[in-house]
Amino acid sequence: MLEERLRFEALLSELSAGLIHVPATEIDAALASGLQQVALFLGVDRAHLEEYVGGEPTVRLTWALPGLDEPPSVMDVDQFPWSSDTLRSGRAVRFSRIEELPEAAAIDRASYARTGTRSKVSLPLRAGGAMLGVLSFGSVRRRFAWPDELVERLHLLSQAFASALERKRMELSLAERLRFEKLLSSLSVAFSHLSAGEFDREIQRGLRQVSDFLRADRGSLIEFSRDGTTARSWAIEEWMDVGEFPWMTARLQRGDTVSFSQLEEFPDEAAVDRQSYLAHRVKPQVAVPLLAGGTVVGGLVFSAVGTERAGSDELIQQLHLLGEVFANALSRKQTDLEAQRLRQDLTHIGRVSALGELTASLAHELRQPLTAILYNAQAAQRLLRADVVNLDQMREIMSDIIADDKRADDVIQRLRVLLKKGDPEFVPLDLNEIVGEVAWLMRSDAIVRNVPLSLDLAADLPSVSGDRVQLQQVVLNLVLNGLEAMREPHTGPRTLVIRTARDGEGAVRVEVQDSGPGIDAKVLDHMFEPLYTTKAEGLGMGLAIVRTIVEAHGGKLGAVSNAEGGATVHFTVPVETEGKQ
Amino acid sequence: MSGASPLVFVVDDDLSVRKSLTRLLEAAGYLVEPFGSAREFLAREPHLGACCLVLDVRMPGLTGLELQERLVAEGRRVPIVFVTGHVDVPKSVKAMKAGAVDLLTKPVDAKDLIAAIQRAVAKDVEDRSAETRVAEVRQRVKLLTVREMEVFALVVTGMLNKQIAAALGIGEKTVKVHRARVMEKMRAGSVAELVRLADEVGVIVPKS
Repeated sequence: MLEERLRFEALLSELSAGLIHVPATEIDAALASGLQQVALFLGVDRAHLEEYVGGEPTVRLTWALPGLDEPPSVMDVDQFPWSSDTLRSGRAVRFSRIEELPEAAAIDRASYARTGTRSKVSLPLRAGGAMLGVLSFGSVRRRFAWPDELVERLHLLSQAFASALERKRMELSLAERLRFEKLLSSLSVAFSHLSAGEFDREIQRGLRQVSDFLRADRGSLIEFSRDGTTARSWAIEEWMDVGEFPWMTARLQRGDTVSFSQLEEFPDEAAVDRQSYLAHRVKPQVAVPLLAGGTVVGGLVFSAVGTERAGSDELIQQLHLLGEVFANALSRKQTDLEAQRLRQDLTHIGRVSALGELTASLAHELRQPLTAILYNAQAAQRLLRADVVNLDQMREIMSDIIADDKRADDVIQRLRVLLKKGDPEFVPLDLNEIVGEVAWLMRSDAIVRNVPLSLDLAADLPSVSGDRVQLQQVVLNLVLNGLEAMREPHTGPRTLVIRTARDGEGAVRVEVQDSGPGIDAKVLDHMFEPLYTTKAEGLGMGLAIVRTIVEAHGGKLGAVSNAEGGATVHFTVPVETEGKQ
Repeated sequence: MSGASPLVFVVDDDLSVRKSLTRLLEAAGYLVEPFGSAREFLAREPHLGACCLVLDVRMPGLTGLELQERLVAEGRRVPIVFVTGHVDVPKSVKAMKAGAVDLLTKPVDAKDLIAAIQRAVAKDVEDRSAETRVAEVRQRVKLLTVREMEVFALVVTGMLNKQIAAALGIGEKTVKVHRARVMEKMRAGSVAELVRLADEVGVIVPKS
């Protein structure tokens, strides 16, 4: 007997010592082997280790003689209320016969009887005041006495098991935290340089990464607009319309975190949401609001389908951190959009003001056909008073009137296109055509300024990819600048040449050459910078806008003073390549 | 003047405006000669009959105002009706001072335009008859000798024969002879008429 006791103590100390050195990933295996050795030593026919996983008791390790069922969890409050209470309060449950259990354990007795348990000892696994699980040994074949001395030894074993479990948990949670931090930093990096074109794709990728981390089935990012009414969303997997979840959306907009593991937790006012969740078979979900500058800009929602996994405090905390990264991405996107809109407004203003300079000559362009129409109509009136009306002449007059009407309409159309405010549209363009249109527009202005405008257009130019209006604006601005340069009193011929040519294989070049005084070397360095102007009444935005447009087209802008006098400003636009993304 | 229709020159660089204006004026009964530029018009030899010019202010090359300057400089007197896109006050004033009959704004109503052309043609006719008369008086002046010319110039200032004789250092009788010849050659019935003729041709050469 003594010998057996000593052998048991030796086994226990060997197991305890072994568990201390086992790496976290091998702890489960070591516990399983220990459980089996102890069970065999004791001669019991069933042993198991239950562990709390996500707040639920789960049987993790079982040893049993062949042919025996897996034991039920003694921590299941429904089947074993008394045992569960006892264990939770830190005491062992021990009986060699079911009858030994007190009256209060009536339900437990029935459950034990149903599972064929005759004798059993269950010990709580506790560490740092927290309940980690339960270690149980039981017998179905025969009664088993549990002497105090043995139970005391088993307590020692349970302590060794508990600390091994705790170490495993800590190490796993540390690994989990590292994984989370890696995720957080990789998302921060991915979102920090988002261009407008990449935004959707990167957000999707980010949602996918977070879902994988959380082991969620669905994930989505919701963006609330400034007025808080309309919202946009990105999702992985098919995601539902925000409108299907009014209660959740409203709570997110108020800045609340919405987390549930069971639909029954929903209040009555969430009836619509509940229906939608049922329809989409969504069970647990966690949604956190995204805050930027104190306002809710959106929400981050993750859910699992089918399995019921609750959102722990830690999870919610992690989601709040991830939410910050997404919130930053959203608010940066809005800032980018605003900057883009501002740039567009500025280009539009630049175009309007450039056209403003042309108002007088454009009015002339419009007045010419109107004048001809009136002359023709009045001539017709007079001719109709004659006794014999020359019908051929009348027909000629009518067709002239129609032609002039078209001409007037053409002027209006071209102006409308230039004054149009909208998103740039990149299409294949012929730069010769663009130059021709601007020259047409400027013709009258050049006449007033007494500067002959000549075109030197290369034949067979390849198409470029660009926005028609914006490129017209670039040419218009350069021509206006050239004409302006020649306003300075100077001798010599006054000419303005617009030239097109290939610029290597990949680009088309447009040059505007004037015969003005040329450009000062000091000015050359700064002329394309915003707010730089040499004109008393100039804003200094014309060429800066030109540069913005040219660069947005992937081209270059430059200027030189010509040896023979005057200056040449040029820009390039890359050739359009088919099938480029 | 004569029974022939007055000739209207149209100078406008815009083909449809030029064509329609020509058509309108022809329908109104004028003979019209259109030109696409100021230079084309200058290349045409001066017209002898009644005429006027309908001129666009804004044109490439020589503008309407520059054409007006050139005509004045060359002594070609053609009444001009300017047609302009928009009223530029300094330019209008300059054009009117240089003798333009009218300045109309596009689009011009036919009635206004034809009224202006009528005024211009009437002015041309009037100018031409005045011009003819002056030319005739100039012919008479050319018949005078140097001495008669001197006497003529002094007579019209209101000097007496005695004073003229003293001024020219000749006898009073000689002055009387010259004076009679002047009256005869100039076909003047009285000193008053002689003064008016002198005024018309601007012969007054006071020696003071």
